This record gives sequence, structure tokens and C-alpha cells, in this order.
Amino acid sequence: MRTPYGHEVYAMAAEYPSPHALYEAAKMVRDAGFKRWDVHSPFPIHGMDDAMGLGKSWLSAVVLIGGILGISTAMFIEFGSSWGLYPLIVHGKPYDWKVVPAFFPIMFELTVLFSAFAAFFAVLIMNGLPRPHHPIFNWDRFARASNDGFFLVIEARDPRFTEVEARELLERSGGQHITIVHED
Amino acid sequence: MSERLSNAPTPEGEYFESGRFAGLSVLLGVIAFVALALCGAGAVIDPRQFGYSWMFAFAFFFTLCAGCFFWTIVHYAVDAEWTVVVRRQLENMGVLMGIIALFFIPIFFLRHHLFDWMNIPAGTEENLDSKRAYLNLGFWVVRAVFFLGFFIIAAQLLKRFSVRQDKDGNPKFTIWLRRVSFISLPLFALCITFAAYDWFLGLQYRWFSTMFGVYIFAGAAGSSMALLVLVITALRKAGYLTNVVTVEHYHIMGKWMLAFCIFWAYIGFGQYMLIWYANMPEETRYFLVRNTESWWYLSMLLVFGRFLGPFVILLLQSIKKHPHQLCYVAAWTLFMQLLDMYLVVLPALHGTGIHLSLWDFVALIAMGATLAFAFLRIVGKTSLFPVRDPRLIESLKLVN
Repeated sequence: MRTPYGHEVYAMAAEYPSPHALYEAAKMVRDAGFKRWDVHSPFPIHGMDDAMGLGKSWLSAVVLIGGILGISTAMFIEFGSSWGLYPLIVHGKPYDWKVVPAFFPIMFELTVLFSAFAAFFAVLIMNGLPRPHHPIFNWDRFARASNDGFFLVIEARDPRFTEVEARELLERSGGQHITIVHED
Repeated sequence: MSERLSNAPTPEGEYFESGRFAGLSVLLGVIAFVALALCGAGAVIDPRQFGYSWMFAFAFFFTLCAGCFFWTIVHYAVDAEWTVVVRRQLENMGVLMGIIALFFIPIFFLRHHLFDWMNIPAGTEENLDSKRAYLNLGFWVVRAVFFLGFFIIAAQLLKRFSVRQDKDGNPKFTIWLRRVSFISLPLFALCITFAAYDWFLGLQYRWFSTMFGVYIFAGAAGSSMALLVLVITALRKAGYLTNVVTVEHYHIMGKWMLAFCIFWAYIGFGQYMLIWYANMPEETRYFLVRNTESWWYLSMLLVFGRFLGPFVILLLQSIKKHPHQLCYVAAWTLFMQLLDMYLVVLPALHGTGIHLSLWDFVALIAMGATLAFAFLRIVGKTSLFPVRDPRLIESLKLVN
């Protein structure tokens, strides 16, 4: 989609005066059936994921896999070396399964470490980061999203997106400074 | 910020109609009376076994009450929102500490059967003599009075101020309650730690562990949250609090159950591993008894049942958001707390293996029925949730 001046359109965006207005607007956009859109606020707004109709994140599943990998790695390197490769009696302890309490700290640490790595990298990948620039920054007012601005952005690549309908919806939901944001 | 404001509760609050449950109340009263009478017989017939059985039941209910007290003071100290709608039940269970204090009286009279250090004359055991400055009868009684007195007074203050706020909604009560809580937090930590040393660790006076107080606390906090889930669900089943407590509150209670399930395992394992690894005879005797003979099976059940099972189950968000399923986990957690206290107290008497006694059950039923009877008497006297708490609306609209 292009403007008459030949700019590629990224999105239709609006600013809201309060988190509550943004919350109510999000519910309207959700109910209008849009899929590719987002809200921006300086702080997390409780219940916003429900208002946006986001559903449950896949992040927890990724972290669980990371944790299981972590505990498996720890068990492999501990049991493998102590039982298989070098079965030694250390500190008067046997080397059968009863020695497992000595391994728990490592199993715990690696579970936490791998889960944390999984969470960190999964968040980066799911959010498409790192990303040096984003079209939304072409809008001057958006700089306030990290200070006191509450924004709702409907992207042009949404199948339901038409300029008229998006603008009308944002107006109806109480949006101010409604504008088209260019891709470049 | 949710759509739930439409069904705001009435400003009069909700009242538990004790008349509806008069039958249950009478039944509990009769059971309590009979069981307490049997307990009196038990104390005469077999004072040593009965003393330990009574101590086991006391440990279970004391930790539950102390845990409920803990959640109440934490609520005020951190100015929490979500707890408001369930807080009255925590207060109700906290004031039961008065009855718990009565249950301590038999322990005082049976002390010579329970605490071996009281029977050993000075000068016979050097290790014990070095502890006499702490382990002597006079100081032991003073401490017990102080611990129980603190719990009773603080729990009564928490309840009374909160109830007075129901009438006029004056925010000054919240400020007063916050002060009570700030003072109570360090005192609670000291009281539950040293109560655990005096009453449960003292059963094996030769053994010592600085982790033991925290271990008892971790079990208390987790299991009292499980008890809260069950009490709230029971009230909802009876038709109360249905518009007040939502699935969001259950979600948070489930998260706390998970957190303290992990914390209990962390503390329990921290205590076990250091002693097991160092392998010094004066430290290992506690776990040696519990890891040999038939006690080993119960210890393993505790590892899997108290930690691994609930941990894996409570990781699932859907369980925490499903009151019915969360109740199963909560009931199981309570059962595991019972087992934990059994493993703390009874192996001190039966070093050679599990020896179930009739008195274990009688003491447990006597205390449980008495406390449940008292709870039914208390719960109807005030609104089921603090109707004029300044943070009530936030709590009703809770989303997480």
C-alpha cells in the first residue's frame, strides 16, 4: 500500500491519553478482528494481553525445554563420569545411585542456567531482536512511548487493513493524533 | 481494569450463616469432646507414646496457624492488593492460635516424657551441660509463654483492627495494622525459629541444625497457603464469596504454593546435603534414624510427594487457574505437611522403624475437630471479607 506521494505505508497509528483509554481501545481493535497490530506504553498494563486477545505465550514451553536440557546435561556429565568413566570412591561415598544428593546442586544450577539462556534468546527471537531501526520511529510523537505516551498501531500488512476502516476505528476508540506511518 | 466491576459485592459484606451448618458444628463438637476425653485416657495409659502423638498433632496445627499468621502480616507489610478478599479467613485461622496455646498445656505436663534433656541431671553429660544456659526448664517455660503470647496478641490485634475497619472504613486502621505487622515480622521470625528449636529440635537435644527453624517455617507457609485454598473453596462451594474470589486469586495462591514447594525443598535439601556430605557423627544422627529401617520409605515419599510431584503439577498454569484441580494439590500438600511433621517428631521415639499408634490418630482428630469447631464459631461473626478495606476494589479487579 502506498500513499499518493509514493511512500510505502507501514501502519495507521494513534495516541491515547491514558492507559485505561488504551486498554478500552485495544478491546475494540481486537473485536474488530485485526490480527497484526500492537500497543505501546511506558509500563506494563495488567490485563492487556487479554484485552488484545493474545492468548498464552509459547515462551514457557521454550523455557521448559531449556530446563529439561539443562538437567539432562548435568545428569549426563555427572553420572557419565562418576559411574561410567571413572568410578572412584570420593570422600567415603559410594558410587551407586545413592550418591545422587551430591549431584543435585549441579543439576539445579544447570537447569536454572539453561532455562535462563532459553528464556533470554527465545525472547530475542520471538520479538525479532536485535533490530537497529523500526518504521514506527518515523513518527515523531512515538518517542514518548517510553515516557508518557500510550500508542496503538495497526499495521498495513494486516489483511483487514484499509485506510478508511483503520482510521475510522481509531477515531471511534478515542485515539488522538491519528496518522499514517511510513515504511521508510 | 477488567470487565468484572459490574458484579461488585454489596457494601454490607457477606455473612456466613452458622445456622445452616449447625449440624456439622454439633458433630464436630461431639467428635472433639469424645476425642479429647480419649486423649485424657491416653495421657494416663501410655504417657510417653501419647506425648509424642500429641506433639505430632500439635506440630501440624501449630505450623498451619503460624503460616496463616505469616501471610496476614506479609499482606500489610508489603501493602498487597490480591490478599484483601481472602485475608479475613487468614485472620480467622490466625486467632485460633489461642486454642493452640491451650493444646500446649499437655506438652508442659508431659515434658519429662518428651524432652530427655530435662531428665538428665547436671554434671552427667558434658555436651548438654554446655547448653544449660539455654536448655533449662525455667527459660524454656518463659520462651514458650513468650512465643504463644506473641502469636495470640498479634493475631488478635490483626483481627480486631480489621473488623473495626469493616464498620467505618477508616484508613487509620490500615496504618495501625501495618505497624503491628512491621513489629511482628522480626518477632515472627524469631518466635517460629526458636519455637521449632525448643519443641521439635529439642526432642533430640544432641542434634543441632541452624536450618531447622527455616525448614519448619517453609513447611508452615506452603501448607497454610494450601489450607487457605481449601477453606476458600469450601466457602465458595457453600455459596459464599462467589463474586469476590475469582480464578485470578486462585492463580496467585497456586503460584505461592509452587514457590513454597520449591523453597521447602531448597531448605530441606540444604539442611540434608551439608550434613550428609560432611558425615560427622554428631550431626548425622537425625537423618540416620530417618533414612534407615521403615522410616526410609516415608522419607522418600516426602521427597517425591512434598516436592517433585507438586512441583511438576503446579508448573502448569492451567492447574493453578482451575480451582477444582488446585484443591487436589492443596489437599495433598496438607497431607504431606502432616507426613513431614510425623517424620520430625515420631522417629525421636521409635528409632527402629515406623510404629503407628492409635494415639497418633486420636490426638490429630481431637485437635482438628476442636479447631474446626472453633473456626465455625468464629467465621460467622464477621463479614467473610473486609468490606471497607481501602484496597478492596483493587483486589476485586485483580488481573495477573
